[in-house]
Amino acid sequence: MLTVTQLTKVYSKQAAVKDVSFHLDGGEVVGLLGPNGAGKSTTMKCIVGLLRKTEGEIQIGGYDHLSVEAKKLFSYIPETPYVYDLLTIWEHMQFIAQAYGVRDWKAKALELLELYELEDKQKKLGRDLSKGMRQKVSICCALLADPQLLFFDEPMIGLDPKAIKNTKILFKTLKDQGKTILVSTHLIEGIESIADRILIMKEGQIIGNDSIENLKMQAASGSGLSLEDLFLELTKDE
Amino acid sequence: MNEVRLLLKKDLLILVNNLLLIFRNPLRLIPYGLGAGYFFFMYSQGIAGSEQVSSRVDLDATGEVDVTQQNIIGALTVLVLVFFIFQLYRATKNNISFFKMADVNLLFTAPVKPENLLLYYMARSILPALGGSLIFLVYSGGQLASEFELSLLGAVFLLLGFALYFFFIFPLRFLIYTLHTRFGILEPLRMGVLVLGILLVLLIVIPGLMAPVFWKGMFSWISSSWFDLFPVVGWSRGMMAYFLNGNWVLSTSYLALYGITYFAVVKLVIQYSGHYYEDVLDATQTNEDRLEKAKGKREVSEDAYSLNSKKQLALPEFGLGAQAFYWRNYVQSSRQDLHPLVGLYTMILALLGILCSFLGRFDWFSTNVLYFYLFFLLFFYFMAGIGRANIGDLKKPWFILIPASWAAKFWNMIKLDLIQILLFGLMLILPSVALGEYNWWLVLFFPLGLIFSYLIGLGVNLIPQVGLDEGWDRILIKPLMIGGIIVFGIVPTLFFTGLVMGITGNFSYGFGVAVLGLGLVASILTHVTLDILKRLEFKEL
Repeated sequence: MLTVTQLTKVYSKQAAVKDVSFHLDGGEVVGLLGPNGAGKSTTMKCIVGLLRKTEGEIQIGGYDHLSVEAKKLFSYIPETPYVYDLLTIWEHMQFIAQAYGVRDWKAKALELLELYELEDKQKKLGRDLSKGMRQKVSICCALLADPQLLFFDEPMIGLDPKAIKNTKILFKTLKDQGKTILVSTHLIEGIESIADRILIMKEGQIIGNDSIENLKMQAASGSGLSLEDLFLELTKDE
Repeated sequence: MNEVRLLLKKDLLILVNNLLLIFRNPLRLIPYGLGAGYFFFMYSQGIAGSEQVSSRVDLDATGEVDVTQQNIIGALTVLVLVFFIFQLYRATKNNISFFKMADVNLLFTAPVKPENLLLYYMARSILPALGGSLIFLVYSGGQLASEFELSLLGAVFLLLGFALYFFFIFPLRFLIYTLHTRFGILEPLRMGVLVLGILLVLLIVIPGLMAPVFWKGMFSWISSSWFDLFPVVGWSRGMMAYFLNGNWVLSTSYLALYGITYFAVVKLVIQYSGHYYEDVLDATQTNEDRLEKAKGKREVSEDAYSLNSKKQLALPEFGLGAQAFYWRNYVQSSRQDLHPLVGLYTMILALLGILCSFLGRFDWFSTNVLYFYLFFLLFFYFMAGIGRANIGDLKKPWFILIPASWAAKFWNMIKLDLIQILLFGLMLILPSVALGEYNWWLVLFFPLGLIFSYLIGLGVNLIPQVGLDEGWDRILIKPLMIGGIIVFGIVPTLFFTGLVMGITGNFSYGFGVAVLGLGLVASILTHVTLDILKRLEFKEL
């Protein structure tokens, strides 16, 4: 579903992402872990086309990631959820449905708004929403398009505990539906229970790429380290 | 173009929601009504005046050069040119954005064609320019109608002349930045803009030097009709000249020139911008930050306009409580300028004043230049007060929660500004008075006048910003406040200033009266400001 080959992103002579390659199969949930400044968000923004890649190749569903065909296949939930100040929640859903060409979207939109307890706030304007609510709207908009591939950039930040729980349940539901998910986060516990595989990034490079089971075994065999300890061990400064 | 339909629908929904917000509170319509009434009154007065005096303006009746008219046109053209060149130069430093962060999050990753988005947003960006020009036209229509016979066609050309000038800057800036990112030709572009600027300066200076009197000759070329062929600035001027010369063919030709150039610029932008999303990200984020800052949601970036943001500071202790605000401003100012109390730009302004006063010793240089400069600086500091960037801080919890009185907090918030202004005033006026042998009363009057002007501007900025929640209300109230201050404060002050100057024949005494008037207005506005701040606490709690 997603193939990233030797992706490099350089900002004025400084490489934020260096020669990163990985592949996501259809139906896989993959966590992109790493400390702050590791290059997770930059990698994700390059994949979704918000940043220009300096080198490398990115294919989504066999299409170049910048093509309209590729964009029909994925949705992106950014870390900072900006919405239109003067559109209501319902109008946001309408707008996304039109942009992605979703037919019969109303029932699906209602379902999503119910899941995120926004159904009674449909007529609220974007400017009147809290950050958490804007994050929920952002997730609803992404899911409305019914994409095959979802990119979540730090999705739990700003959400209340119930919404975090709902998001985790949603990840499982989406996985059961065969969707592919790439979640960027620095919180291991957020994805430990749902991810099939973990990519660990440090200083712009991928330093670990394995299944949760293997990583857990590796952690247990290594003098009883927890997954979190292993992550800290891998990403600690030399 | 599916994208255009999609975006049109979205903007229509936004417009409807905006109108609903305005109509939700009918009281909000009163100032709008007052504004409309004022414009109507001015217009009808102007029309009535034009019936009486329309025959008095007979331009070029004698066929001789009208030097006054030439100087007015030349000076205005130079101002517009400076702004234009400055905007082109800015394009070599950072990009502009037609987008909002919501577009970045929701549209940029959607299956839409980037070039169609750009086309739509670029074309839509004419609306603010058109709206601003319309307000200007309605406002000035009355005055123009009393001097010239302003026909519908004349009004249309005036409107388009203004709107296209302001509108055209943005696609041009976008194109320059696009060429820079595409071909990496920043330096040649910057050099090109600089060379253009230098050439234009020469076009003013050379005719001045060739004329018997420099002042009379310097605008001769730039105000001639040949200059109408100069892109953008000249085209707008040529188009607007319809109400002077009545030549609709010429004005339409300039309009056509605009059309052809716009088409070419759009073609070039589309051809070279490619996948431009990254190019506009920073500018879009900056615009969003600016909006949030105005709403008080975000702190001012310390490196904004900074001269030395990486400077290591040895910071003094100023005390506890409200002093924290002074300390914060001091730190910020230390990083933004060469010295926290005296900045580079203020030193340049002071040196300019001192130079004027020194030149005033010579017969060929009028002392009126310094007098004009002093009044200009009063206006400049009024604008500085209006433009004070971090006014949104007042709505932040930490401003409200710091345990100190409102007066103490407000005082510490502006203390550094006042010290800087006072030092600047003294730095300018002391040597100026000494060198030019002006009246020593100016040493007292001028710094005080600067402080009062700044406080008036700050009040105009702060009162609607803190007191009103709706952006539309703020936009509307600000000009009304300025209008009120001018009518009830500045006009009487100027009247008495002129009277005292006339009676005593001394500029300094007149200036003193002006400062007294400004002081009265400033004290009223400061009182209102403190009152508003108290109410802010009540509202926030």
